[in-house]
Amino acid sequence: MADTKSGRYASSSATISPLVQSPENLECKNFQDYLRTRQTPESLEKLYNYPPICLAVFRELPEIARQFVIRILFVDQPVPQAVVSSWGAQRIAKEQMEATSCLTALNVWRVTAIPGGLAAWELSPTFKKSVRQVLLGGGKPWAMTNTLDKDSKPRDIAFLDTYAMARWRCVLHYMVGTGSRNGGTDAEAISPDAVRILLHANLMKRDERDGITITRQGFQFLLLDTRAQVWHFMLQYLETCEERGFSLPECLSMLFQLSFSTLGRDYSSEGMSHQMLMFLQHLREFGLVFQRKRKEGRFYPTRLALNVTNKDAAQASTSADDERMQERGYIVVETNYRVYAYTDSQLQVAVLGLFTELLYRFPNLVVGVLTRDSVRQALRGGITAEQIVSYLEQYAHPNMKLVESAIQSKSCLPPTVVDQIKLWELERNRFTYTEGVVYNQFLSQTDFVTLRDYAQSINMLVWQNERTRTMVVQKNGHDDVKRYWKKYSKSGG
Amino acid sequence: MDAAEVAANKEAEASIDLLAIVLDTNPTQHIVRQNPQNLTQILEAVIAFGNAHLMQKAQNKLAVISCSHHATDFLYPLPGRQVELRPIDGQYEAFSLVEKTVKQQLGSILMNAPRLSSPCESLLAGSMSMALCYISRLQRNVAAGVKMHSRILVLTGSNECASQYMTYMNVFFTAQKLSIVIDACALDKTLSLLQQGCDITSGQFLKVTQLDGLLQYLLWVFMPSPQMRHKLVLPPPPKVDYRASCFCHRELIDIGYVCSVCLSVFCKYSPICTTCHTIFKTPGPLPIKPKKKKKTEKQM
Repeated sequence: MADTKSGRYASSSATISPLVQSPENLECKNFQDYLRTRQTPESLEKLYNYPPICLAVFRELPEIARQFVIRILFVDQPVPQAVVSSWGAQRIAKEQMEATSCLTALNVWRVTAIPGGLAAWELSPTFKKSVRQVLLGGGKPWAMTNTLDKDSKPRDIAFLDTYAMARWRCVLHYMVGTGSRNGGTDAEAISPDAVRILLHANLMKRDERDGITITRQGFQFLLLDTRAQVWHFMLQYLETCEERGFSLPECLSMLFQLSFSTLGRDYSSEGMSHQMLMFLQHLREFGLVFQRKRKEGRFYPTRLALNVTNKDAAQASTSADDERMQERGYIVVETNYRVYAYTDSQLQVAVLGLFTELLYRFPNLVVGVLTRDSVRQALRGGITAEQIVSYLEQYAHPNMKLVESAIQSKSCLPPTVVDQIKLWELERNRFTYTEGVVYNQFLSQTDFVTLRDYAQSINMLVWQNERTRTMVVQKNGHDDVKRYWKKYSKSGG
Repeated sequence: MDAAEVAANKEAEASIDLLAIVLDTNPTQHIVRQNPQNLTQILEAVIAFGNAHLMQKAQNKLAVISCSHHATDFLYPLPGRQVELRPIDGQYEAFSLVEKTVKQQLGSILMNAPRLSSPCESLLAGSMSMALCYISRLQRNVAAGVKMHSRILVLTGSNECASQYMTYMNVFFTAQKLSIVIDACALDKTLSLLQQGCDITSGQFLKVTQLDGLLQYLLWVFMPSPQMRHKLVLPPPPKVDYRASCFCHRELIDIGYVCSVCLSVFCKYSPICTTCHTIFKTPGPLPIKPKKKKKTEKQM
């Protein structure tokens, strides 16, 4: 009996893995992640030759890191590491570590040795030069700041806003397939270039009938706010820019120059290379710049291009200057989970339909309700509760923002609804998956108990049931338990 | 980092930081009379510092106010449409706008200032109230859900001006109530009144010993926003001289008489309070306390 093979195991990892693996979700990178993952130190160094890029990088740094850079910006010798680490208070040591490693990863500073054998930090000379130039002046002017004679018909901010949103909405409409099918005019169609970027970004895919349909990521993309959409789209664009024959540093620098420009002012495209003019035309198509004619040497950046990396900045600055955000809110959410959307746009209804159950449709109004099922369906589709809430917040009707509770709290939505959506998401995370190995069909109770106790003693037991003589052991403990079992059964226990 | 700290960091990134710099441009300051070049040097440092503040975050805001012996003026921003300018070098457009505007404004203010023969004190307290007004106006325009943190930085080389004591105190306590931090950078002498203000509003006070390193001093001590100062090691607060100035001679005193009605401070006894016109009795010798007879009797 002792030599019969009593412990049979079946690896269950194969059955678990599809459960653990979540569907591929939209990955939104901020500028810092982008630089960290896509760039090598050498190419970063190349980027730092452009002052606009340096300014953007500087603003992306964690707050402590920004203070450190500012402190050593005007110091010409390397600063010993011990000195730098003494600048932060003791209890934020971890945060400070992150800041220093971030600065190292972005190649903003590097380690050098100073006489006396101490390790020291030194700002990258290119970065230092560029930041000083941005701050104090000197050097060459930025590319698009050539003098222009006065525009005879200057465009105001309201015009630029409507123009930009109309262009951008074209892209979105194309994605949900409402733009072209409704007999859209020529202006509403988007160029093959833009389609190629959408395909590259995996926001749309070719289906069997050789048509183009929106993907799961595409729907998640639609839920982002406009700023994040533009940034994600531009990142994807930049990935394809090398194959178009554009140089990445030039494109990035151009993008950030636009991002740091003043709204409602005209800039000159004089002296730009052929590639950059092409790039400008692409930006024009997506509504990041306005240009009257293709050949005109004058363009206006729009709000889409401003502060392209930073959502907070854009929000704060636009609202503080008492200017309207480009898109009017149209959604009212009530505490009874009803959602009223004053819209006739196919796009907005389609997006809303992702996470609400639509009840009625009127010519200018759609009524839906947020139910557990509808929200869970969206969650299953890879949309997060955060995204749903932020979408509702972003397009909240202006009247929602005037309610007493909205003024006091940060969000203008009813807190119960927000909480419930988040709870519905948490509900799905009740399981924790552990890979394990099942041991069953023990021939005697003592065998089972011995092996179970051993597994427990090395903290590898996941679950056991004495009646059915079944136990589950963590995968990395399997070898140990098996060895123990072999030894145990050999010794004739 | 725990969740609360992450949230705090996120909030800090999203909020607007407003920095109002009050710059003392009184030509009779000791350091300016010593060497007129000093004013240029201070101005350059202040502009660079202001721009460094704007560089931190895209939504940061800056105001520069000049304070002199006869008037207080805004150097930046100017009301109405900003001046149109095309940058001539690699400086960021917004930064060169600050630089040009401040220099232009200050130039015209100094040219139009009335001539003076004897040194006058600067109207620092008045300028600070102007900064407070500006801050509260912007605060009102901030959209719901957006936080704005404001602070005032005073740069001065003037002497102590005890005559503005009341205005100073009003400014300090208003700022404290609005949770606006007041920082002060003394270029010449230690100013106990301003030091009190910094202490009340939990700001930083610094006396610069070398004018050459002014920018570095500013960047070092005053650049971090008050919310993140506790994360950095900054100069420890010096002992603050909390003496009040008397209302009769405007001098700082250790011990004095206080009106029991309006709390005005006097260095000498006066029968009628000059502020609220209360009439006091003449102080006689201290009354002798009657002995506690009853208690002793009971014990007996």
